[in-house]
Amino acid sequence: MNKLKQILLQVKMKQWFLASILFLLCLVSLVFVNHNATFYHKPIAEVSEIVNEEQANVTDSKENHDVVYTQLIHATLKNGEEKGSQIELTNEYSDSRAYHPKLSVGDEVFVSVEESSSGQLVGSIADIKRDQALLVVAWLFIFVLLAVGRKQGLFAMISLVVNAVIIAYALDLYIDTANVSLLVIMSGAVIVMSILSLLFVSGFKAQTYAAIIATLLGTFMLLFITMYVLDITNEQGLRFEEMSFLSRPPQAIFMAGILVGALGAVMDIGVSMSSSLFSLYEKNNAISIKDLRESGIEIGKDIMGTMTNILFFAYVSGTIPSLLLYLMNDASLGFTLSMNLSLELTRALAGGIGIVLTIPIGLYVTILFILWKQVKS
Amino acid sequence: MNALVVLAGVLFLLMAIIGGKKGIRSFIALFVNFFVLLVAVLIMTDPNADPILLTLVACALISCVTLFFINEVNSKTKTAFISTLLTTALMLLFIFIVTEQSMIHGFGEEEVEEQTIYSYYLGIDFVKIAASVIIMSTIGAITDEAIAVSSPMFEIRKHHPTISRRELFMAGMRIGKDLLGTNANTLFFAFFGGYLALLIRYIDLEYTFGEIINNKIFSAEMMTILCGGIGVALIIPVTAWITAYVLTRTPKQAD
Repeated sequence: MNKLKQILLQVKMKQWFLASILFLLCLVSLVFVNHNATFYHKPIAEVSEIVNEEQANVTDSKENHDVVYTQLIHATLKNGEEKGSQIELTNEYSDSRAYHPKLSVGDEVFVSVEESSSGQLVGSIADIKRDQALLVVAWLFIFVLLAVGRKQGLFAMISLVVNAVIIAYALDLYIDTANVSLLVIMSGAVIVMSILSLLFVSGFKAQTYAAIIATLLGTFMLLFITMYVLDITNEQGLRFEEMSFLSRPPQAIFMAGILVGALGAVMDIGVSMSSSLFSLYEKNNAISIKDLRESGIEIGKDIMGTMTNILFFAYVSGTIPSLLLYLMNDASLGFTLSMNLSLELTRALAGGIGIVLTIPIGLYVTILFILWKQVKS
Repeated sequence: MNALVVLAGVLFLLMAIIGGKKGIRSFIALFVNFFVLLVAVLIMTDPNADPILLTLVACALISCVTLFFINEVNSKTKTAFISTLLTTALMLLFIFIVTEQSMIHGFGEEEVEEQTIYSYYLGIDFVKIAASVIIMSTIGAITDEAIAVSSPMFEIRKHHPTISRRELFMAGMRIGKDLLGTNANTLFFAFFGGYLALLIRYIDLEYTFGEIINNKIFSAEMMTILCGGIGVALIIPVTAWITAYVLTRTPKQAD
């Protein structure tokens, strides 16, 4: 009994220790990010005073009413040669704040500095310094995930970071090597990511291998089906010209995006199918294949609706601001929808196809593994 | 033939073959949800409508469709619904503060460049709309997790009628923890898949690390991932607590 108490105390000590390290890290990084201006090459200025704010009512050609404000700002430079000197900035924002934000005292902005004829430094605002806010939310994310999920929360975060690194590395590789297609590189990344993530979640077990095989089969089948459909329909209805942020041909990036985007959902289905069927088998080693198949289909039916829903909203919600922009500029509903949604809907539908396909694939792959185990024993 | 129609047809066939009636219901639910989203957007074009309130109503309707139409109206889905609504409201408040502080609202430089013909003086509040986008992106995942936590808790209660509220809550937390990783992963990959083009652009145009993390679109995307993660984590204790409360409040459960 005393021993147990000691162990408990040790566990508590360890937890307290980890928690305080985390807390310390959090504090240090927050202090750092508030004083990291010298690490940036671009000049940074902190708003010290809003000198004047003019406002004007505007009505655009589509009868949208808005108020435009022009802020005259005094700010202090935080880095570079003129560190500490005052700079004069102007910021124009509107009530809708569709582009520029409203600035207030204490906000930090990236500026380009010029000297006016009178010797007073003037500048224009290039961007907002957002790293502090990002870091605060990132820490909140870490604390909430650890508080709720403990070990699983930690694992979730590690796997997020590992996958982000793999994606970044794959993109770097793609840009450095001119001849290899993005789809091939991303396919490689997808294989590595699903093997690592699934092994990480459930360890070296037969059910993990089943989930990996099901995930990969499901993902690549969804890719081939989508490519085939786009091929026979000549991509009719897809507005590639509206794809944002392009610096390269859109089709390849789009297909690679479909592949990566659906991977998480497909993995989820693969794991759900294999782990639930294996737990049925472990409860009753003599379970018949017919029973397994029926249970598997039932499980699949339960998850297919919500999983397709998750992907659907993750993709389509991002288009809300552009939908509003088009609609309020009097574009017709049909034009607005086809311009903004065709690619996102394609992603969602392709992902949905992957999710639904992985249900039977996961079912039969897992049954094969179970059969193999039964034969062996 | 339109590629979208063909893909939708393929998805419908697969859902009908594999999922039967429930599969068909799931397919219809997707369309109904799409319609809800669209109507919400149409109402948002009115400057007098509050986007936050609209989002909350839209989220309620969407989780209604997901929970009550695909599944059925029973005490499991009802508790899941209440949990979803509560978490969504909490998250909306939190996300609204985050978007305002980090100034990730509105369009990014890269977007404005591409759509120069449009007027940006629209008279609707893009801070609220940015918050609405983030919560809408995760509503599917939050609803999914609510039902995935509450439903097995009802089963546990059925098999152990004498279980205490605290034990029941802990059981719900354990179930939720196992789902946390996969759900966060699903969202994460979906967002990254959608923004591959942006990431490639950053590398192509040689953005520095500092430029990337302070870039409006990148920050907004990271905030979406982080807030999504917080949302799928927060729904677990909320659902576990509400379900435990509901189950131990009445001595006999009807369902």
